[in-house]
Amino acid sequence: MPYHEFECSKCIPERKKHAVIKGPGEDLTSALPQGYLSTIPGSISERGCAYCGAKHVIGTPMKDVIHLSHGPIGCTYDTWQTKRYISDNDNFQIKNTFATDMKEKHIIFGAEKLLKQTIIEAFKAFPAIKRMSIYQTCASALIGDDINAIAAEVMEEMPEVDIFVCNSPGFAGPSQSGGHHKINIAWLNQKVGTVEPKITSPYVINYVGEYNIQGDQHVMMDYFKRMGIQVLSTFTGNGSYDELRGMHRAHLNVLECARSAEYICNELKKRYGIPRLDIDAFGFTTLAEGLRKIGMFFGIEDRAQAIIDEETARWKPELDWYKERLRGKKVCLWPGGSKLWHWANVVHEEFGVDVVSVYTKFGHQGDMEKGISRCQEGALAIDDPNELEGLEAMDMLKPDIIFTGKRPGEVAKKVRVPYLNAHAYHNGPWKGWEGWVRFARDIYNGIYSPIHQLALLDISKDEIPTDKGFETQRMLSDRDLSEDITASTVLHQYSGKYDCLAELSGKTYPRFETDLAHAV
Amino acid sequence: MDMKEKIEQLVDYIMKNCLWQFHSRAWDRKDQNAGVLTKATQILCGEAVELETPTDRCFWVDAVCLAEAYKSRYPWLAAMSKEEIKQIMQGLHERMDYLTITGSLNLELTDQHY
Ligand code: SF4
Repeated sequence: MPYHEFECSKCIPERKKHAVIKGPGEDLTSALPQGYLSTIPGSISERGCAYCGAKHVIGTPMKDVIHLSHGPIGCTYDTWQTKRYISDNDNFQIKNTFATDMKEKHIIFGAEKLLKQTIIEAFKAFPAIKRMSIYQTCASALIGDDINAIAAEVMEEMPEVDIFVCNSPGFAGPSQSGGHHKINIAWLNQKVGTVEPKITSPYVINYVGEYNIQGDQHVMMDYFKRMGIQVLSTFTGNGSYDELRGMHRAHLNVLECARSAEYICNELKKRYGIPRLDIDAFGFTTLAEGLRKIGMFFGIEDRAQAIIDEETARWKPELDWYKERLRGKKVCLWPGGSKLWHWANVVHEEFGVDVVSVYTKFGHQGDMEKGISRCQEGALAIDDPNELEGLEAMDMLKPDIIFTGKRPGEVAKKVRVPYLNAHAYHNGPWKGWEGWVRFARDIYNGIYSPIHQLALLDISKDEIPTDKGFETQRMLSDRDLSEDITASTVLHQYSGKYDCLAELSGKTYPRFETDLAHAV
Repeated sequence: MDMKEKIEQLVDYIMKNCLWQFHSRAWDRKDQNAGVLTKATQILCGEAVELETPTDRCFWVDAVCLAEAYKSRYPWLAAMSKEEIKQIMQGLHERMDYLTITGSLNLELTDQHY
């Protein structure tokens, strides 16, 4: 096994099995790190807790819901507003956060009374919202408060409201991934099948594992609507509570982030016979293939093809402008979970960059199987890295940019490596054809920022040139390009709007009359 | 190029571009590999493909994309007889089962629950 031992982690020998280098001739049966294990004491991991995974990642993108944490205020404060999962109801679920604010006295005397009061107070404060999710935390789990019983009591007293209870305290798994699992299964067991949706098309899907980061879901909905597909629910970006109760009536589950949401798809397949189709909506060719597959499943591939042709023709010259300038740049692909495999191959194929390392904070071995298969030979794959390992890897690999979260991202900046926010994006959305060009633009801006070039000089030791003026991005990026490329009239920079979502709201879509007659 | 090298090319395409082979449990992976690769073989051999159930259709869409990619990328396929295609696809199926199931180091494959 080609394990990689970090110098900085020699004092934690167990860490050795969490990193491998995919060498020549290696395959998955010889190169796979351990994964989804409790963080080893002494290793300062970058993970979140299981409550955070349940609430912050999967629960809170649901838009028409009061998201209430039953616990001390710190738990909810730290899971508030740091992810950009916008919604089309004025971002109610991002603007507001709710907690019971448990104190020491509640730990001693119990907090069920406090919970009931808070639930009622929250519903009264926001009378237009009739749905609630309650999240258990370490404190409320350890004292044994019966959240389900209180929720049932309130629902009896207030029949107009509906409450979902997620019992996933921070300690309920090695990382946030434990919480993804718990909330998937809890939602399925408690809520799916409790509402019968209105079916308006013969082509009905759930769009699963999509969190509407900076509007990704809006972009994808546009394609689905152009194909005449009814999206019964999105799990959970811009998702509506009651729509998600009707997931059992879909004909197909289209799955994106399998890491956080494959459980519900697997169970929907087992219990309701709905097949699961995994797609990648990041990248031109990958998204095209995903839409084609959905189209073929329903026998409407011509509708998918029309979108693919139109979007590719519109955006390809812009993608290629960036590709010419990003070719050969070294990338550390260090996201939380699924993007390590969503992006590992397509950024190489379509942006021309080389992925020199992949890591995952909370992924399982299955994510590493996908990521390692998709990245290039020689890449360093790390499971649950600590900060020192990240620094050592950057020193060893000398990446031009890293795609990661904002905590490790800020660390990277200190060693003069630019980073892009892989979780919340810089100037997203990054899904869809236009989104993919916006991602390329962000990479370009990150690598060729003139300010970043200045940061590469260390005033404590480097000689500072005084004979050179300020350089522009184009001077830096075009320096070694042929004239064919720099003077090309075909290739050009991103020409979309600052807010590329504005036009989508209020857009009208084709009515497929024949479809209406066949809706079941 | 010998048979083994050809199979490795086919494997490499799947590993770099597909997701269907990496479902989370061993029994799912077995079904997925068999479902998609059987249908892809039928498509490549010009044989009828069964599309009875939604699950069949789901395998079929992945199989169509795979067969198309193989035809466009590997010209040597066009020179093969039906029998040879079946043989190489059988080899591919065995190799995929080994890489993703029987030889896999993924400890979660045998978990009894999702
Ligand atoms: S680990 Fe426990 S106490 Fe800490 S944020 Fe998570 S739920 Fe709250």
